[in-house]
Amino acid sequence: MSSVIEQIEQQIANLQNKTVATNTGKILTIGDGVAKIDGLSQVMYNEMVEFPGETIGIALNLEEDEVGVVVLGEASHLKEGDEVKCTGRLLSVPVGKGLLGRVVDALGRPVDGKGAIDSSETYPVEKIAPGIIERKSVDQPLMTGIQSIDSMIPIGRGQRELIIGDRGTGKTTIAIDTIINQANINKVGLASGDPDFRPVYSIYVAVGQKNSNVARTLGILEEKGALEYTIVVSAPAADSAANQYLAPYTGAAMGEWFMSNGMDALIVYDDLSKHAAAYRQMSLVLKRPSGREAYPGDVFYLHSRLLERSARVNENNGNGSLTALPIIETLAGDLSAYIPTNVISITDGQIFLETDLFNQGIRPAVSVGLSVSRVGSAAQIKATKQVAGKIKLELAQFRELAAFAQFGSDLDAKTKAQLDRGSRIVELFKQPAFNPIPIEQQVAVLWAMQNNYFDDIDVSKIVEASNSLREFFSSRKEGLLTSIREKAKIDDDLATELKTAVDEWKTSFN
Amino acid sequence: MTQAKQIKEFAKQLFRMSLEDGELSPERVDGVLKALEKNPPRHLLATLKAYLKFVEREVAKSTAVISHAGQLAPEIVANIKSQMEGKYGRKLDTVERDDPDLIAGLRVVVDCDVYDASIQSALSTLESSLN
Ligand SMILES: Nc1ncnc2c1ncn2[C@@H]1O[C@H](COP(=O)(O)OP(=O)(O)OP(=O)(O)O)[C@@H](O)[C@H]1O
Ligand SMILES: [Mg+2]
Repeated sequence: MSSVIEQIEQQIANLQNKTVATNTGKILTIGDGVAKIDGLSQVMYNEMVEFPGETIGIALNLEEDEVGVVVLGEASHLKEGDEVKCTGRLLSVPVGKGLLGRVVDALGRPVDGKGAIDSSETYPVEKIAPGIIERKSVDQPLMTGIQSIDSMIPIGRGQRELIIGDRGTGKTTIAIDTIINQANINKVGLASGDPDFRPVYSIYVAVGQKNSNVARTLGILEEKGALEYTIVVSAPAADSAANQYLAPYTGAAMGEWFMSNGMDALIVYDDLSKHAAAYRQMSLVLKRPSGREAYPGDVFYLHSRLLERSARVNENNGNGSLTALPIIETLAGDLSAYIPTNVISITDGQIFLETDLFNQGIRPAVSVGLSVSRVGSAAQIKATKQVAGKIKLELAQFRELAAFAQFGSDLDAKTKAQLDRGSRIVELFKQPAFNPIPIEQQVAVLWAMQNNYFDDIDVSKIVEASNSLREFFSSRKEGLLTSIREKAKIDDDLATELKTAVDEWKTSFN
Repeated sequence: MTQAKQIKEFAKQLFRMSLEDGELSPERVDGVLKALEKNPPRHLLATLKAYLKFVEREVAKSTAVISHAGQLAPEIVANIKSQMEGKYGRKLDTVERDDPDLIAGLRVVVDCDVYDASIQSALSTLESSLN
């Protein structure tokens, strides 16, 4: 006990001798969560400043004779003339594995009622992205568990792939499926004891969403056992524009911690349209000049500096990665609006979801023609390349020919075969929400497709058939699935085994 | 330029006219005020307010306000004055204020920099570190 007393006495002694120097200012005006400050002559851009009542703000506008500060959180107790202090620190948030399984706000404070966060490290919210020299090209797959994406628009670790589409086209679902799939892979990989296995941790940043939506997403993550590998950063619609502006950077800081410590992480920004809107609102209150669609001139920089932070770093820098799935909502499928074009130009590809497809029941409603991944097959395992190499082309041809399908029997044999194949692939790629499919099962099904096992099955029964095939494999051929996963390519032995297995299934299915 | 900006620009010009060798000169301020009275600009009140701001800021920059609880020896004031002048590289006036709230010790304010060596601030730091 006496050591505690000594400690306090020591602290008192220290304080007595110390002169504390602070740079201060006074509130000139305050409103809409933005304060104009007189003074703060030493403040840095993005520095945290302290208002009375332990309220924090960030200095965003440094002008000749005043400083524009965005107040984070409740500002109603602040008034003209109140003192503001510089802290000398850039805004930082807690980081680390202790955040997994937790829900935090834009400042990294827990909002899930599960008590304090076990984290001893903090990380600046804004940081310069890794340079060219530290980066490595993307060549390791990040499986989404969504067949159409993994086979045609593959995503690699460290890539930035945009998910874009109108309201209610399944954008969030694709991102959540991907998070669930990472958790599924983590569980298998960690249980296997493979020392080379690299788990992927996920960060889901919810910006400007209704609380009920965030709660639903959380419920799904929890139900699917994915929450324990996931950090949720939430700045809901009811939160201030400043917090909504900040939340993606907070999530990026948490993700970057994994990357810079040699681990792999995935971050979802849901969504950057609302993020841009929050930034526009803040900028209007700060009286910054506005340009196209009333966004401030630096809105491009808002997203480029965020997405630049996703990368794969090379072995000398720990070999970690941060993969980003930003989401953008379009209006009537218009990709040429300001924010969509900006973000398309920053990312390494996009998954475009179409309302028409969604309404026709083709879900996930991925548009084959308008979706690309600029990293491409470098991020696919060999087995997928072997069975899916031609599928994107086949589907694209099918879409072109589909208009002629009505001519039915008048078609030549080749066209008819292409139409038959295409319509079956479309069916095969239908997949319910929140049910990511392991890559080895995807490979088995596509192998069967490639080897014509589905050709004599009626199109309306394809979904049933592929479910039955996967069910057959996971219940009866677990060893074969494991070999596909471990070998990651189909050699002659595996091809023979696959043939025997699929033949066996086929007799039972008909 | 918006009207508010124009007024500010004008007030700034008036303020520059009030400096002599980079220091605020009471005679010049007097001259500026008299000239304003004779030829009032369109927004006299707003101009005066903006001008006052510039002058206030300048005064704050060249004044060290020393708050203290209890007696303050003249040598200490002189010492602070010379140290602060060295730090800021300019001549400073000192203003002394008795402030019992500090409990004991000193607080020196120059413009927006606060140097606090009072028991009050030590106690409040201690309090927040114990929270
Ligand atoms: N593959 C799917 N199969 C069946 N239903 C799906 C599928 N994907 C999404 N849905 C359903 O469609 C609805 C909209 O999905 P989701 O919320 O993911 O879309 P969104 O584009 O994120 O919508 P918002 O624009 O509102 O954010 C949900 O009810 C979801 O369950
Ligand atoms: Mg959504």
